[in-house]
Amino acid sequence: MSSKNLGKWLLIVLPLAAAFLLLWPTINYSLLSSERAELEADTSRTGREALARWDADNKEAFESARAGRLKLGLDLRGGAYLTLEVDVLKLIESSADASAVDDDFRAIIEETRKATDNSDLDVLTVFLEKFRARGKKLINYFPASELTEQAVEDKLRRDASGSVDQAMEVLSQRINKYGVSEVSIQKQGARRLVIELPDEKDTLQMRELLQQTARLEFKRVMTDRNLVKAFYAIDQAYRNYKSGVVAPAAVDTTVADTAKKDVAAAADTTKKADTAKVATDTSKGPKDPYKGLSDDEKARRIKAEYPFSYMIFGAVAANEQSAPQSFDMVGLKINGITPEQLPEAGIFSFRIAAEKLQEFLKILSIPQVRAAMPSDVDILVSANGQASKPGAQPEAYDVYGVARDADLMGDVIEDAYPSFDNSNQPIVLMNMNAEGADEWGRVTGANIGKRIAVVLDDRVWSAPTVQNKIPNGSSQITGNFKPEDAMRLAVVLKAGALKAPVKIIEERVVGPSLGEDSIRRGLTSTGISFALIILFMMAYYAIGGAIADVALLMNILLTVAGLAAFGGTMTLPGIAGLILSTAMAVDANILIFERMREELYAGKSLKSAVEQGFSRAWSAILDSNLTNIAGAIPLMVWGSGPIKGFAITLLVGAIITLFTAVVVTRAMFQLIIASGATTLNIGQKRTA
Amino acid sequence: MDLIKKTNIDFVTNRNFFLRLSIMASIIGLVIILLPQIPGLGLPKLIEPGIDFTGGTQTTVSFANTATSAEQVRGALAAAGYTSAEIKSFGKDGDFLIRINDIKDEASKVSADLVQKLNAAFAKNGEKAVILLGADNVGAKVSAELATDAIISLIIATVIILLYVAFRFEFAYGVSAIIALAHDVSMAFVISVLVNKLGILNLELSINSLAAYLTILGYSINDKVVVFDRIRENRERHRGMPLAELINHSLNETLSRTLITGVAVLAALLVMVFLGGDVLEGFAFTMFIGIVVGTYSSIYVASSFLIWYTERVKHKNVGSVAHTEA
Repeated sequence: MSSKNLGKWLLIVLPLAAAFLLLWPTINYSLLSSERAELEADTSRTGREALARWDADNKEAFESARAGRLKLGLDLRGGAYLTLEVDVLKLIESSADASAVDDDFRAIIEETRKATDNSDLDVLTVFLEKFRARGKKLINYFPASELTEQAVEDKLRRDASGSVDQAMEVLSQRINKYGVSEVSIQKQGARRLVIELPDEKDTLQMRELLQQTARLEFKRVMTDRNLVKAFYAIDQAYRNYKSGVVAPAAVDTTVADTAKKDVAAAADTTKKADTAKVATDTSKGPKDPYKGLSDDEKARRIKAEYPFSYMIFGAVAANEQSAPQSFDMVGLKINGITPEQLPEAGIFSFRIAAEKLQEFLKILSIPQVRAAMPSDVDILVSANGQASKPGAQPEAYDVYGVARDADLMGDVIEDAYPSFDNSNQPIVLMNMNAEGADEWGRVTGANIGKRIAVVLDDRVWSAPTVQNKIPNGSSQITGNFKPEDAMRLAVVLKAGALKAPVKIIEERVVGPSLGEDSIRRGLTSTGISFALIILFMMAYYAIGGAIADVALLMNILLTVAGLAAFGGTMTLPGIAGLILSTAMAVDANILIFERMREELYAGKSLKSAVEQGFSRAWSAILDSNLTNIAGAIPLMVWGSGPIKGFAITLLVGAIITLFTAVVVTRAMFQLIIASGATTLNIGQKRTA
Repeated sequence: MDLIKKTNIDFVTNRNFFLRLSIMASIIGLVIILLPQIPGLGLPKLIEPGIDFTGGTQTTVSFANTATSAEQVRGALAAAGYTSAEIKSFGKDGDFLIRINDIKDEASKVSADLVQKLNAAFAKNGEKAVILLGADNVGAKVSAELATDAIISLIIATVIILLYVAFRFEFAYGVSAIIALAHDVSMAFVISVLVNKLGILNLELSINSLAAYLTILGYSINDKVVVFDRIRENRERHRGMPLAELINHSLNETLSRTLITGVAVLAALLVMVFLGGDVLEGFAFTMFIGIVVGTYSSIYVASSFLIWYTERVKHKNVGSVAHTEA
């Protein structure tokens, strides 16, 4: 094989390899998900265990395949799509000082609403124009720390532009809590959010979830040993719940504890209740009930007996300064250590592994379980997990015991923003209104040295320790923040201050039956159509047609691969784009072959007919594809969703057509000629 | 296989007749379907814009009892307070599309409520009588934006195509291509509106059907560029040949390619019309019409207009030159 021919072979093989590589996540995803679906169908215990093992083994591969695959649009797969818009005008209205609002102000709001309702004008700009046109001063209506027009305007602008981020944080948290794995939330433009849900059944609940206003609270954090007791009580309540036993209003933990105490005393274990030292190794326990069992069996038994606390890792420190000692909730039980024997003044903290989060929250949401918890305590989980390195998947979540009644509601917050302290550490600054500041002074004064949790919709965002009494409501939250953490915490704190409601302005739901049916029929008919074209080309242009078919398949493969690589979504309009670009690829080959035949009829040799065919058809192919590319670009830039989808597929397809239909088919013809052929059947009339 | 022999058909002698006929047909067609849109004339409306462009809510449901009639559904909905609901059957028996346009803020609640009310009205033995196939709720703001975006992007795309063709060929070619494209899209639009009105296929105007019209534009411009390219080539080869003859010659030379590509693509689309299901059939039908019209217009609209335009402009130029010399 000469090096010239090698280049031609590479032209054919390399793009195919590239297409396969780009499509691998898509292929792998469909393989893995059908494997998983098979396991999922088996609901027996062994089946469930096999599924859990499969999940553990393939989690990473599955996730990465899912992230890189070619996504199907709603119209081809079913699901729901929602567009939400933040009501900036409501935001402006509610940030005004209630006592200052007069008829003029209301009239301006009304006018602004009319002017912006059906347009994409910037609401704040329109509002300010109308406001100033009436000669009004902002400082007369809006509270501000600095009494200048500019300061008020700046604050309004900051709030308005931050409100989408805030809505996004609030909504992501709610959706994640809900446990829908494939939900995507994206910002669109200045004040919109687009949410895509894979399953239409969720939309009703989701809609309620999305349109609630955020609830921000400050709650005292409990760090005493009673939490350990509460966790065991939850084990008991959940076991009862699962076995159908009607649980008493509260589990009588004292009885159980006394019994345990006897056991502990009899075993004469050595432990010092006044230190923070706790046994951690379960296997060396004097009365290990699981001794001699296999690891799997032991894990299963522990899970059955302690369905809640087996998930929890505890740690206890003697005081704020000392290093915490970790312990294992189940290990305590095995060693017969009761909560009363734990250090009384110890500061307890708890965490769970990230993969247990849904299970943990599920148990906590059961009413019978909640009834078994102490009436003044609530158990919450941190909003963000901890990851071993930045950007990685979270590995663990903190578990907090907090006071069930909030000490203060978030609506007293006037403003919150990220900043830096003297040593250049990121901090968050927070101001409260007069009423809130009084209450905050009382709360902080009573809890110096203790922690107060910032809770948004039942998830803990931060639990700073109170350093001293804060008399004027202006607080500074320090911590081991990265600047983006400080930014997010500020956004969350403002969720309590700003009541920027979101409204659903567009919603599309495709039920699973329609989605399934349409994808099946769509795929079948598209497949038959392509098969028809491929057979037609072979019948009409014989070997030439076969060559064109190879190029055509390569074209479709590369176009789809290109879409997958750009993170595109295949939708119905996308299929239209694909049909058009395929039609143009077929047309390019027809143009070339018709030219070749003309040359052959004129008595040219095969070699010169092939060369002439390609060079003469080239200008038509180039111009027609470039015209379509030129037309597709504005559609991509200015068109909305579906039109954009069409334009992207067409654009990618047209560029690839220029390559496959011309460069690749030409290389194949040249390879045939190089192998010594002097005649070739491209369906021409026999010239005998 | 070689089915199309070298032809020498006369496409140009009657060009003015075909050009006038085509342009008249598309204008009359547009008038027929657009006139009823003018309020106050009291004519029945022919265009059925989907909620993408009107805003409102559209719910598609499937009844377990396939014998359920549109009248029964209408009755049940009226009893539930939805008197302005528009009901249309589509797809299989027992599948209905319920559209309510005059809804403001709470559009997203309506579809869920509809299904619930229908289930309550038709439920027997506690079984589910109705399942939700799909729901679209589009706010007035979004629908206005979708329409504006579509129009703006289409206008810009048209101008860019005109400029590109004018740059690669001549200005007259660009104008001819745009006239022919306008003809193709209007004819496909008129025919789709009428077929939809007859209730054969669901072809209401939606953002997805726009993609079908865009495909027609793309295919049609491709077809025109191929013919123009041949004219450009033949102009060099046969210098001095009158334009009409040159164009006729080029049309004959490209005829086999035009027909073969057309037949291959139409056959593929026909499969989708018959087997594509609710989602693809309407889409493929509009494209099918557009491609037939687009192939015709390469010959009888774009080429005929090109001859007419060039001769008229040339005449003028010759006249003005003569005038200056005199």
